[in-house]
Order: sequence, then structure tokens, then C-alpha cells
Amino acid sequence: MKQIQIPGGMRDLLAGECAAKEELRKRISAVYTAYGYQPVETPLIEFYSTYQNTFTSLKEETLYKFVDESGQILTLRTDMTLPIARVCVTRFGQDEVPLRFSYCSNVYKVRQNFAGKRNVVTDCGVELIGLDSTSDPEVLCCALDVMEALGDYEYTLEIGNSDFFRKAFTLSGISENDAAVLADLVDRKEMPALQTFVRSLDLSEEQTAFFTKLPLLCGRNALEKAKQVCFADELRQEVDSLMKLREILTQLGYGEKVTFDLGKVPHLDYYTGIIFEGYISGIGTSVLSGGRYDSLLSKLGRDMPAIGFGVKLDYLLETAPQPQTKIWKLFYPAEKAAEAMIEARKLRQEAPVEMIPWDKDIMEVVK
Amino acid sequence: MSLSIALTKGRLEKATVEMLKACGYGTEKLDNKGRALVFPDTKKDIRYFLVKANDCITYVEHGVADVGVVGKDTLMEGGKDYYEMLDLNIGRCRFIVAGLAGHNPLNKTGHIRIGSKYPNVALEYFHSKGKDIEVIKIDGSVELAPVLGLVDGIVDIMETGATLKENGLVVYDTAAELSARVIVNKASFKMKQDEIMALISDLEGMVKYAEEN
Repeated sequence: MKQIQIPGGMRDLLAGECAAKEELRKRISAVYTAYGYQPVETPLIEFYSTYQNTFTSLKEETLYKFVDESGQILTLRTDMTLPIARVCVTRFGQDEVPLRFSYCSNVYKVRQNFAGKRNVVTDCGVELIGLDSTSDPEVLCCALDVMEALGDYEYTLEIGNSDFFRKAFTLSGISENDAAVLADLVDRKEMPALQTFVRSLDLSEEQTAFFTKLPLLCGRNALEKAKQVCFADELRQEVDSLMKLREILTQLGYGEKVTFDLGKVPHLDYYTGIIFEGYISGIGTSVLSGGRYDSLLSKLGRDMPAIGFGVKLDYLLETAPQPQTKIWKLFYPAEKAAEAMIEARKLRQEAPVEMIPWDKDIMEVVK
Repeated sequence: MSLSIALTKGRLEKATVEMLKACGYGTEKLDNKGRALVFPDTKKDIRYFLVKANDCITYVEHGVADVGVVGKDTLMEGGKDYYEMLDLNIGRCRFIVAGLAGHNPLNKTGHIRIGSKYPNVALEYFHSKGKDIEVIKIDGSVELAPVLGLVDGIVDIMETGATLKENGLVVYDTAAELSARVIVNKASFKMKQDEIMALISDLEGMVKYAEEN
């Protein structure tokens, strides 16, 4: 028999998984609410051009696209940051900042077939718009509180700073094009190709050593290691400010949970300052990710700094405990429907009740 | 914390196990393996499993394996969601462009047809040369395709070049140098960094030693 199928990368979530997801959503939202973020919802569908004009390195094939009645190309939103940035620019005035938004929405991305990947995930995050890097510690603290709220997991929040890399390549006189290649190699810690590429650039010995070691400036003592290979004071200042950040987070009791990776330079055209990702033991991908994107809103017509992060709930479902709710069954004869419902109303004070009609002429509760 | 390492079955597996053994890892169980597919290290908290090259990437991307050893050819054709941390300098070979004698596909003007087991690699190489190219995916004996006139040339892996020569094909260019690489799952690298860096630096020591001798 031919079954009805769903498109690749999609999935139905049933009772237990839904309950687990709802529980996670509640815990995370409680943190966002406590930090003063206001929930916002945006349409599932955006104009494709909104994405195309904003993200220069957008991979066209990763967006779901269709055409509306007037021939314009539409897309399923692939993130929540851009829709919220759009809301800021179109619905709020310049003087209404800072703005704090939280969201919990499905986002869509076309991914490789037959690789066990999800094309739809629920992204639960926040965006803080209108405040500069002074607010970084507060946002990181919120991210750490979220990691803590997820449950009893061993986790780590890893912080990088794209300005560190940006300053380094500018000071070395590396062209934008070469820097993009370099960033990609560093971010993927592709050591063999990185060594070859760095040697092909016309750099001083110090700079060559710096860029070859960059991907390994991570883990324990990452900042101390970084300090040693810095070839300019501007770079040392960046490390200093990260050390200050570490100090603040240590004061808050998060010292053990925070690590640094200065070789973390994803999407150089998007992130402008700190970037961070949260990992949980036993999950093969980051569950929380975010960073500062001060240049995004200017592409939409308003120059404002911004920072945000989100948790992809679905990645957590494999390890999240599924809360079990006991549902009582009330069996009743059809002619006593009203009586049964009055009884059910009473029972529902104690537990959820589902009503099941039967042929016998008595009522019975199965707990 | 315990590490899982996915090794690519076959030639690479033997060379990798040799390297691990020389570094003092307990790989004995991999020597007499029978039909088993998962092997615990006898000295360290590591388990090895044997997989096909393409699957190695899949296992590492999902974090089922923390570390994988796989050929650069497979990495070039497949996904990119992992760290590529070390060139083991074993299993060396090349991606080459070949065609019939006197028919260099790179000199052909207009539409070029290329046969390859590696369509993405072939596409990328010819696009980088600004060529109008169409790739026909061939699964085995790629050398046959130009001989029978299906394609203008091929992009394939070459070790010795004997098969190409026997079929009257000439190598016109090298698209990439290949060797085995160590890839690492990104999240594993964060959570098990000490263990993974210890493994990498052991293997790196072996690579340097081999280069010097």
C-alpha cells in the first residue's frame, strides 16, 4: 500500500516528545522573561529578497522558496534574527531603543538528504537591539542561565571574538578575499590546508605563526596562549577585554563553565564582536549559539548595534527526559453523558480525565 | 572521557593502525578482527570502529564518532561540518584530469563532458578554470568512459597511473593532492578537548618522525 509521506528532513512529534519540548520551552522562556525580554511572533513566510539583500553569503539552495500570486518569491524564514531586525526597523522608532525581544518559533532550512538532518527546528532565543558591547556580559550571563535551566547536563559555553580575527588580518594587510578563505580554514580548524595557505600569503614570521596557531587557541588557558602569539598591541587589548569578561563570569560562579576559542570565526560578514556556542555532553552539535551583529540593522536601513542567541530545542530532544502525565479514564453510558461530565469536572481538580463511552449502564473511573 | 574513533576500512585502516601502534595505543584487537566491527583499545579508554569512507564523515558529523580517519578525496566530495585537524601523510594519491592522447579536455572550447565518481570535485575544478562543464557520474572503471566516447575526459583518483596508461589515457592536470586526514566532531572537540588533543599530538609526532626518516 502506498503510504502518505512527509517531505525529507521533516518529522511529526508525538505526545512524549511534545511534552519534553514544551517543558524545555517553558524553562527557557522563564529565563528570558526574567531578563526583561518581550515575546514576539512574526510570519512564517518572508520575501526571499529580504534575506537575499541582507545576507551576502546566503546559500540560495538552503531556503525553501515559492511564488505568490503577484509573482514575488517567498521563503520560509530560515532564522528569527532577520525577521526581528525587520520588525525593529519597520515598527519601532530610533528613540525606542534598547529593545528586548524573545521568540520561540520554527525555522526552516533545506539540508543534505539522507544524512539524518532536520530541516525544521524550533529556535528559542532573544535579540537585544540598541546596546553596544557593554551589554555583552549580561547577554552571556543570560545564555549561561539558559544552559543551566535546560536540565541536569554537563555543559560548556564557548566564547570567541570575531574582532580579534578581523583586527589581525587588517593589521597584516591581508585582502578581504584572502581573509574570507582564511576565516573559513581557521573556523573549520582545517590545519593542513591552513598551513599551506598562510605560507602563500606574504606575512612576517610572527604573523605566520599567529595565523597557523589561531585554530588551536582554545580550551584551557586559551587566552593566555593567545596573549603569547599576539603580534600587535591592538590584539592584546582584545584578549584583555575577553579576560575581563572571564573575570565577570567567574564572579558570577560560571568560571568552570566558560571556555574560549579565538579560532571561532564563522560568518565573518555577519558577526562583528563576541560569538558563543553552548555544548552539552552527548550531543554532537552545539545546542545554543549566538553573537553580536552590529552591522546587520544598517543593511535594513538603521544603524544600531545588536546581539542575540537562540537554543535549537529539537537537538535536545534525544536526551531530554519525557515527562509522564497520568491520565484517568472515565467510562460512562451514553445516556448519562451530563452526569458523567459533572463527575469528570470534579475529578479534573485532581488529574486530567479522558471520557470514554461504553455499553454498560454504570460509570467507572480507572486511575 | 572515552573516545570513539571511526577508521576507514581497507588500506587506510592498516596504515592508521600502524601509526597508532607505534604511538603506544593498544590496537591488537584490530589485527585479528574476524567479523567484529567495534574494537576496544587494550590500553586506553578508546573504541575503534571500521566504516566505509563516506560513512566516516556521517558518523563524525553526528558525533557518534568523536574522531575519524578518512581520505581527503572523500572529504572534498562530502559535507563540511567537522574540524579537519591533521594530515596523516598516508594513503597519498592525486585527483587527476585525464583524457585520450591528443584530446586535452581543458583545451576543448565550449561544452565539456566529464566522467567521474566525484561529481562535486569535477564540477568545482572545471568551474575554477571557467569552463562550461557537464559531469556524468560513473560508478566504476571510469577510464572506460572516454575510450568509448561517452565523455571528453575524466576526473579520478590516481595512485600509479598504470590503469590509465593501459587504456591509452593521458594525465593533463592534477586537481588536488590527496592523503588521509584526521577529522573531529565539533562538539566532541569542546567536551573532550584534552583527550582529542593528546591523540592529535601523538599522531602528529608520528607524521613528523616519518617525514624526518
